[in-house]
Amino acid sequence: MSAAPDLRPRALAWSAAAFTGGVLLQADRLPLWATAVSLLAVAWRLAAERRRLWLPGTLQRALLALALAAVVLARFHTLNGLAAGTTLLMLMAALKLLETRGTRDERILVGAGLFLLLAACLDRQDLLRVPLYVAQTLLCCGALAGIAAPQLELLRALRLGGRALLLAVPLALVLFLFFPRFAGGFWAIPRGDAASTGLGDSMDPGSIMQLIANYDPAFRVRFHGAPPPRETLYWRGPVLHEFDGHAWRRGPERLRLRAPLEPLGAPVRYQVTLEPSQRRWWFALERPERAPAGRVFLTYDDQLVGTEPVAEPLSYEAVSYLRSRSPAPPPAQLREDLTPPPGNPRTRALAATLRERAPNDAALVAAALDYLRSGGFSYSLTPAPLSADAVDDLLFRTHEGFCGHYASAFVALMRAAQIPARVVTGYLGGEWNPIGSYLVVRQSDAHAWAEVWLAGSGWTRVDPTAVVAPERLHRGVLDLLPDAFPTRERLLHSPWLRALFAGWDAANSWWGTHVVKFSYEGQLDLLRRLGVRAPDAVDLGRAFIAGLLLWLLWLGLRITPRPRGVRPDALGRAYLRLCRALGRAGLTRAPHEGPLALAERCAIERPRLAPAVEGLLQRYAELRFGRGADDQAVRDFTRAVAQLSLGRWSGAFP
Amino acid sequence: MSPDADALVLARALETLETVILGKPAQIRLCLACLLARGHLLIEDVPGVGKTTLAHALAHVLGLAWQRVQFTSDLLPADIIGVSIFDRAQQRFNFRQGPIFTQLLLADEVNRASPRTQSALLEAMEERQVSADGTTYVLPEPFFVVATQNPREQLGTFALPESQLDRFLMRVTLGYPDAAHERALLRGGERRELLPHIGAALDAAGVLRVQRAVREVHVADALLDYAQSLIASTRERADLKLGLSPRAGQGLVRAAQAWAYLAGRRSVLPEDVQAVLPPLIAHRLERRDAEPHGPDPGLAAEIIRAVPLSP
Repeated sequence: MSAAPDLRPRALAWSAAAFTGGVLLQADRLPLWATAVSLLAVAWRLAAERRRLWLPGTLQRALLALALAAVVLARFHTLNGLAAGTTLLMLMAALKLLETRGTRDERILVGAGLFLLLAACLDRQDLLRVPLYVAQTLLCCGALAGIAAPQLELLRALRLGGRALLLAVPLALVLFLFFPRFAGGFWAIPRGDAASTGLGDSMDPGSIMQLIANYDPAFRVRFHGAPPPRETLYWRGPVLHEFDGHAWRRGPERLRLRAPLEPLGAPVRYQVTLEPSQRRWWFALERPERAPAGRVFLTYDDQLVGTEPVAEPLSYEAVSYLRSRSPAPPPAQLREDLTPPPGNPRTRALAATLRERAPNDAALVAAALDYLRSGGFSYSLTPAPLSADAVDDLLFRTHEGFCGHYASAFVALMRAAQIPARVVTGYLGGEWNPIGSYLVVRQSDAHAWAEVWLAGSGWTRVDPTAVVAPERLHRGVLDLLPDAFPTRERLLHSPWLRALFAGWDAANSWWGTHVVKFSYEGQLDLLRRLGVRAPDAVDLGRAFIAGLLLWLLWLGLRITPRPRGVRPDALGRAYLRLCRALGRAGLTRAPHEGPLALAERCAIERPRLAPAVEGLLQRYAELRFGRGADDQAVRDFTRAVAQLSLGRWSGAFP
Repeated sequence: MSPDADALVLARALETLETVILGKPAQIRLCLACLLARGHLLIEDVPGVGKTTLAHALAHVLGLAWQRVQFTSDLLPADIIGVSIFDRAQQRFNFRQGPIFTQLLLADEVNRASPRTQSALLEAMEERQVSADGTTYVLPEPFFVVATQNPREQLGTFALPESQLDRFLMRVTLGYPDAAHERALLRGGERRELLPHIGAALDAAGVLRVQRAVREVHVADALLDYAQSLIASTRERADLKLGLSPRAGQGLVRAAQAWAYLAGRRSVLPEDVQAVLPPLIAHRLERRDAEPHGPDPGLAAEIIRAVPLSP
């Protein structure tokens, strides 16, 4: 391909644009310096093209490449993995830009732009980014067109690229729906730096605070049937057994499975979709009937623990009983939850007092709750700091705190009174999304409560926070204490913004479950709905090939040369416009009708239009069939047609 | 005379012709266009509708020398072309020119002659020259053949084969006059007697000049596109025995040029092509299931409608 010399900068600009688009997509993923270096290279190369600046030679480029690779290695400690690999590729492509000479180099850069797009798609799949990805795809296709034919105007090249993309849309659809996607981490490229979020495996009085300020969704729930009342929605997470006087921990990993539950009442069935948390907790309502299908266990303390951290959105079906009686565990297990808190002498004294007065364990629990209710305790997200004897401090000195404080203190008190007790962390409630008919449970719904063993009724949930601040059961923390949050979260709280967010969250959730997480099972389900009985991977392959062939057929029919289906020139377009105007005015040109025949018919059928139209039709006949029409004449004709106003034919004749 | 003046004169000539052949202005115009496009004309109709009168009138108005040959089954090629006669005094053969050596030859009832005679005439039409005894004689300029034939009469006739029909640029059918014109005919008496009274509008030189002017009428690429797709469409149709030949295609453009000239235009429009298409295909295209040589007025319209005119 040899382009005229003055068209070369255009092709270069196209490739630089496609590459820049790819770099910008990485701006919030990769180190900022890498983005800066890449953009600098683009600017350098473009400036060099205009001003004949110095460009690095082969040796300099090689040294630069080595230096940049070393920097990447120093930063990531590897050249492998999505982040490190993408950074390296981006920097090397930037260097490549500095040595572009011909069409081939420019195409390589567009390829780099597309690769960067792919890397971004692998890493981030939010709905919000989709327009950016589409724009970058369009830019790259336009760049390919623009490099192949540099004489094309910007918009023409983009339109050409867009048309090619549109032609490929059915193929993309066929690939998406039917290309067999096998379970397992085909795309599981080590990501390295993803931070874990959500509840941890330990809780100190302040740790829940960090979550409460976080508005991100933790998971979404779709109930099969009416959703249970909000105050019963205790989403059970890590159960904490060990207390060091300040913080609670899960304790050593014990692989003990739970015995079957004795249900009291009807089951609740629902589907949970977890957001990636990099933790192993799966959440279910108290108490799950059994472990859902998947790589997850139901442990002896009614907790769902996955075998691997949740790195991608994950869906599962669960069944829970809101009321149930748990089977009696072996006495040795119960003893583990009796370890009294170290220190905290006043708490021990209070426990002893309560024990003396109470006839049984249930009465003791009620008395302890009474103490919290009447002791002047208040709910606060900014409580006074606690000293080493944290429970004593809370119960006898500060009298303020939030769920973590109260759950911790209550369990410590129970254990001091010789009642087996444990702290349960999780989420309470959630926000109903009326648009998507599902419940969003956010990090800000994080909660902690207590569980005590009562002979006869088994493990029983006691929520001391509900005693101190009963309204917490019905409203989120944001509602309860709006001033405790930064402005952004408070803004999010206005009703219309909340509605907007509900809509957006619904769209996002649909996108996540139906597009991003469309899985092998989803594919089989689709085949089943299409009428294939007992579909398997082979059927999927057949459907894919059938779709592919259909697409090829469609494409073949589309690109078959149509008889004189060429796009009309400027004169032809103006004439067509005139004919359309005549059509609207009630005079439709027959396909074979010549301009003068049309003028004659106009004079007979629509004599009122004739004076305005006849001259134009004659002019067209002269321009089209006469001796050489110059551009100016065509432009004049076009203008005359544009200025023509015939009005709309109302049916009145003539 | 300037071309514009010629056009004016021709317009007057057309008016004159219309006073002789009543009620057939379109056919007269087509016949004239055919001759101006240097094409030979075939007039086909039942007897007594004025075929011969039309031919006479054309020759008269164009101011051409003309000859008439009544074709019969015993007519020999030499009767048309001429014979070499031995001159005793000069001791050599002298060629005596036949009636073909004229500017307008009226070949009446051409389908009555034997194929041999027909082909001799048709060869002359194509080559515009005749050969006799090894010598080639160039025919005068301009040279037209206006042939007539009667489609109904089958006994003792030799229908012209397609290859020879193709040499006529147009086939025009006159048809019966309508009631008003028929009344005028009945009242007006013998039309042929009017002929001596109409003056010649042109002469041979004038006809040649007009023919040159016709050739100058502009044919745009867009028009050639259209003509080409029309011709191609006749070849693609499954219901036709044969499509239009390349010669017919050339003729179509030439005839359209002449038609445009007669309309006073300097360039050909699709409308001109559409106007000359019916007589042009009349003797060339035939449906597979049609009775031979039957008039098929709908075919041309069908072809025209089937080919869209690109903007």
